[in-house]
Amino acid sequence: MSRTSSIVSLQNVGLRYGKGREVLRDINLELTPGSFHFLTGPSGAGKTSLLRLLFLTKKPTRGLISMFGHDMMSLSRRRLPKIRRKIGVVFQDFRLLDHLTVYENIALPLRVVGQKPKDYRENVHELLNWVGLADYADVYPPVLSGGEQQRVAIARAVISQPDLLLADEPTGNVDPVMAQRLLGLFGGLNKTGTTIVIATHDSNLIAKSKNPVLVLNDGQLGYA
Amino acid sequence: MLSGLKNKEPKKASGLMPRSQMPLRTLMIAMTVMCYLACLAIGALVLITQAVDDWSSDIAGEVTVQIRPSDNVKMSDKLKMIAGILDKTNGVISYEILEKEAGAKLLEPWLGNADILDQLPVPRLVAVVIDQKTPPDFVKLESVIKTRVDGASLDTHRRWQEELTRMADSLINLGVGVLVLITISAVALVIFASRTALDANRQVVEVLHLIGATDPYIARQVQWQFLKAGLQSGLVGVLVGMATFILLGISSGGPASSGLADASYGLLVGAPEVTSVNYLLFLLVPIIATLLCLVAARLAILRILSNAL
Repeated sequence: MSRTSSIVSLQNVGLRYGKGREVLRDINLELTPGSFHFLTGPSGAGKTSLLRLLFLTKKPTRGLISMFGHDMMSLSRRRLPKIRRKIGVVFQDFRLLDHLTVYENIALPLRVVGQKPKDYRENVHELLNWVGLADYADVYPPVLSGGEQQRVAIARAVISQPDLLLADEPTGNVDPVMAQRLLGLFGGLNKTGTTIVIATHDSNLIAKSKNPVLVLNDGQLGYA
Repeated sequence: MLSGLKNKEPKKASGLMPRSQMPLRTLMIAMTVMCYLACLAIGALVLITQAVDDWSSDIAGEVTVQIRPSDNVKMSDKLKMIAGILDKTNGVISYEILEKEAGAKLLEPWLGNADILDQLPVPRLVAVVIDQKTPPDFVKLESVIKTRVDGASLDTHRRWQEELTRMADSLINLGVGVLVLITISAVALVIFASRTALDANRQVVEVLHLIGATDPYIARQVQWQFLKAGLQSGLVGVLVGMATFILLGISSGGPASSGLADASYGLLVGAPEVTSVNYLLFLLVPIIATLLCLVAARLAILRILSNAL
């Protein structure tokens, strides 16, 4: 099934919503294991749409997508959860579950795969420390600030040590110091082998990093 | 302010689907009514079956010899001949020759209490109590009666029995039909509630999908809440239903009264060998309601989720 050594491969991918014009056109992208990319571009260029294709909530209207050696165009729905467990996602709007505590939100990906609380308790607390929210384990998301919620979302995305981390504006709600710290955390995760794609408008953040930058412009992808 | 919460996690993991966002209260009210109606339908079916059994038993335990007057033989002679025949017939426990007034009284509802009855050739009746375990040969008995006694005939009440059975079958079919309709309505309710539950928790479902939850895992988060709702509704519905039958009995004069009230009371209060079967039948209501909620919710949720990406 595998076409390349890339963990993600997009070939001539196009996406349109309904009968509208294509929001993504002829996208070709190869992500090798352990790579770190920024994805940038003006608002409405299609960054979120591209991420939706990558975290499998949208199917392209044309082209081929291969992930972790699986042809996503022919993969059955039943096998999607297994692929999704290899992907960590940080949403722009966090998507935390308000009725669960910070601790429970972070532990969610491990709970879903059937791990026992005693097996992940230490990991969750370690991660709470990692994102600077050690004192907030039993707090519910609605009482947290935007930046704190964002850090919970990041912790949730990385708790299962995914092979691929996709983050949509992960530093959009934090101050520059915290943004830099989070970037450092992503870098640390990347060193352990996780492939990372960060969609951001933050040119300062991109400038401080030497990682390759993918630029989306009017639905077409290129390198900066 | 929040530092005191450090390193604490809930002793018990919270449910992934917030119960407050489930349409469970509405479902429970509707399911309770359904279970109550099912309970009434089951009670009615049991009452009909018992009544038909009792009536059939009464009718089957008695036959009637009818003797029409004739000019050539005196009625008293005919009655003696019939008594003679009955005395010699095996399977006859006893018999009673009804007085002429008693026969006339039976006709009163149709002809009125008029003197004309005395002038009419009203047939005389002999009520015969038979041994139901070893009944007489009715064909032979009828033949002997008809041959030896002019104008005499034997009524085994078979026509009544057949009509009674037909009526009982119709009522039982009606009751079963009502139960089927209640079940269909309950399934439709659960499916509707499952859809509403998923709609209300769309974001939770989406997040669970994105972090790799399978459809059966998500269905499990919802179905147990439906199971609990089904069990609670079933229990409340059946308890109120049973209370209705007892109250019907008490309010109409208690166990000593007769008719429907007595039968309703007797459904649940009385000898355990009779009531235990009824209790088991009523117990089926919450069990079926619970299973129905569980299975219908799970299937509906899996079907809805299968349309998601």
